[in-house]
Amino acid sequence: MPAPGYILVLLLTVIFTLATWLQPLAVAWTKGRAQSNNLLAVTLGDARRLFANHFFIKADVYFHSGYYPSIFDQGRTNQLHIAEQAGQGPGAHQGKTPEEEEKEEDFLGPPRDWIDKFGRNFYLTEHTHLSGGHEDEMLPWLKIAAELDPQKVEVYTVASYWLRGKLNRPDAARDFLREGLRANPNSYEILLELGRVYAENYHDPDRARNLWQLAERKLKAHERATGEVDIINERQILLYRAQLEEAQGNYQAAADAIERLCLVLPGTHAVEREELEKRRAELLQKANSSPATPAKP
Amino acid sequence: MNNIFAIGSITIKELYRRKDFYVLFVLSALITLMAGSAHFFHDDKIVRYLKELCLLLIWIAALVIAITTAARQLPAEREQRTIFPLLAKPVSRAQVLLGKFLGCWLAVGLALVMFYAFLGVVSASREHAWPLEYYIQALWLQWMMLAVVIALALLGSIVFAAPSSNGTICLVTVVGILLLGGHLHEVALERPEPMQSFLSTLYFLIPHLEWFDVRDLVVHESGLVAWWAVGAASVYAMVYAGFLLFAAWVLFRRKALN
Amino acid sequence: MDAILQIDGLRVEYGGPRPKVAVAGLNLSVRAGEVFGFLGPNGAGKTTTMNVLLGFVNATGGSARLFGVDVRQPIARQRIGYLPELTYYYKFLTAEELLYFYARIFKIPRSERQSRIDAVLKLVELDHARNRQIKTYSKGMQQRVGLAQALINNPDLLILDEPTSGLDPIGRMKVREIILRLKHEGKTVFFSSHELGEVETVCDRVAILHNGELKAEGRVDDLTREHQASLEQVFLKIIGYQPAPAA
Repeated sequence: MPAPGYILVLLLTVIFTLATWLQPLAVAWTKGRAQSNNLLAVTLGDARRLFANHFFIKADVYFHSGYYPSIFDQGRTNQLHIAEQAGQGPGAHQGKTPEEEEKEEDFLGPPRDWIDKFGRNFYLTEHTHLSGGHEDEMLPWLKIAAELDPQKVEVYTVASYWLRGKLNRPDAARDFLREGLRANPNSYEILLELGRVYAENYHDPDRARNLWQLAERKLKAHERATGEVDIINERQILLYRAQLEEAQGNYQAAADAIERLCLVLPGTHAVEREELEKRRAELLQKANSSPATPAKP
Repeated sequence: MNNIFAIGSITIKELYRRKDFYVLFVLSALITLMAGSAHFFHDDKIVRYLKELCLLLIWIAALVIAITTAARQLPAEREQRTIFPLLAKPVSRAQVLLGKFLGCWLAVGLALVMFYAFLGVVSASREHAWPLEYYIQALWLQWMMLAVVIALALLGSIVFAAPSSNGTICLVTVVGILLLGGHLHEVALERPEPMQSFLSTLYFLIPHLEWFDVRDLVVHESGLVAWWAVGAASVYAMVYAGFLLFAAWVLFRRKALN
Repeated sequence: MDAILQIDGLRVEYGGPRPKVAVAGLNLSVRAGEVFGFLGPNGAGKTTTMNVLLGFVNATGGSARLFGVDVRQPIARQRIGYLPELTYYYKFLTAEELLYFYARIFKIPRSERQSRIDAVLKLVELDHARNRQIKTYSKGMQQRVGLAQALINNPDLLILDEPTSGLDPIGRMKVREIILRLKHEGKTVFFSSHELGEVETVCDRVAILHNGELKAEGRVDDLTREHQASLEQVFLKIIGYQPAPAA
């Protein structure tokens, strides 16, 4: 073998030896850091969360068929309307319908000049929502958002709302929520939504109940761990639970759920608490007057 | 006109004998087909995201083709000294400029037809429909916009020394106008003087290329642009392109070529 | 006989606070049918003068006319053919496509174009390579394409800038033959060259330029007789070159 050949063999041997020595060290360096075999996660790093948010907003843009405020437009809300429609987020329960709120937030206003006026011939100026089965056009963006940021819980819940509701595909909703649960095992939001799938689509109250119980426990654990109180989701869990129990004839359990809700409502919700107390009283009356049925905890 | 068309035909030949167009077309097609092969939630009827992606790629590719082709026309003629035998013929510099513009514009128009045909095929495979009027309108408006871009790049090729710097400046300017041009007045009104006057003046002076971007209308099939508006926008584009070409001619006619 | 090329008081300066004078008050005329040599050392102003005639550069002062038309008008170039010193043509075109393009520029009728193209390609011996892209041509072949495009419109005036530069002896001989043939056909040839032996053979009249000024003009025979020397020696004497004494 000529001299360059020997040098090549020597170099290859050195490389192989170094690799076997360095590889365990490399594994030790990465211990404790999140590993991903997702190409996007590896290449984008933490920027993937920005992209995920962008694509989540993109789904909302698609919901409005492209009619959407830019970053320059005034009066842009932070709440996405696909989420509001799904009954999520702070804007969801303000006493107004989402449609009424959106009308108030019409961002275009009158044209500022002739250029603006003429330019409006070339883009959408009408506030519309996807309907008639076309809601599935939002799905790719939600899927991509979930791929980029599996920890973005609302992507799963919003997608599920549209899948099981307007698109009548509860199986797809269930599978997607389970995918979200694998990435976020402590997410009470996903458990809440999964419970709704079983309650409203599969008409399986037992499973729905189990899921909402688990959601409630996860929520409490989250509150203890972080000190943050999530009134919105807790309210939803307890209200749905109460509805379910009432529909099943478990009036005592329904009343208990309402009672727990009243305990967590802040002082500013006095009117709501009063109404809930009335409802609880009615449920207790029904519980006392109906034959004894074993109430499920 | 004969000379202008003759010079234009040479420019078109150059485009389709270079590899740039084919590379961009194949790349766009590959990305679109890859995106199209994905089935979200086992639903193969979803098509809008694919249209949006394809249209974005078409816009990027068309801008790159238009700017790089136009930016290198005159500098390449000078560098390769092909302009000397050309101008030694009974051809005026205005005819050379117009011929280059026409050639680049027609060439990019042909490229657009191919791109949009591909878009039509890909989206028809999903939605089983041919919204031809949307594609035709979008293609026409984009082509009109590219007339302004090409005229700008030709002007830049006389002003700036290197095609690369000209291309970069043109690209940044065009993308800036597309993204921000329509909002400048809005931003200006929130600023104190003298920035308000400066931005407002800029707003009224720049060519409003964002009018020609009707991708959202195509993707969501939200209704065609009124044809009178298309006509008016086309006239606007031609006037702006004419103005830029006139400025280019004023600079080019006195430029020493040795 | 009317001059088909008339230069009066031509002045060309290149810019800046202290402009450089490339051509200073040149007066020249070339008559129909003659072969005119335009001579001078490097930097004398020959190429600048040609650039003005062809419209590449604007004159600072004076005038130049081709066939009675100001050189700044494109129509002045309708009846001329030009062969630059460095021949570069569109590399992505074939020779036939290039000639077709120029024929179209000259508004040669469509019915005549192909026959004209065939004739010039045969003349420059490029018939076999007409459908190959110019980028595949050798230097000599590119030079011949240059000659072909200069002749495509059957010009009355041929302007050649160093036509034999870079050619082998056979190539130079072919160019000489073409010049003499054109002369025989009554065409006018105006060319610059450093090959004084060649100039002496083919030219009727010459002009010698130095530092932007016309130093001598006249028939070759008259100049050599007047100075009792070869054209090369006349040239060197006029530009003031003193050869180094022999060791």
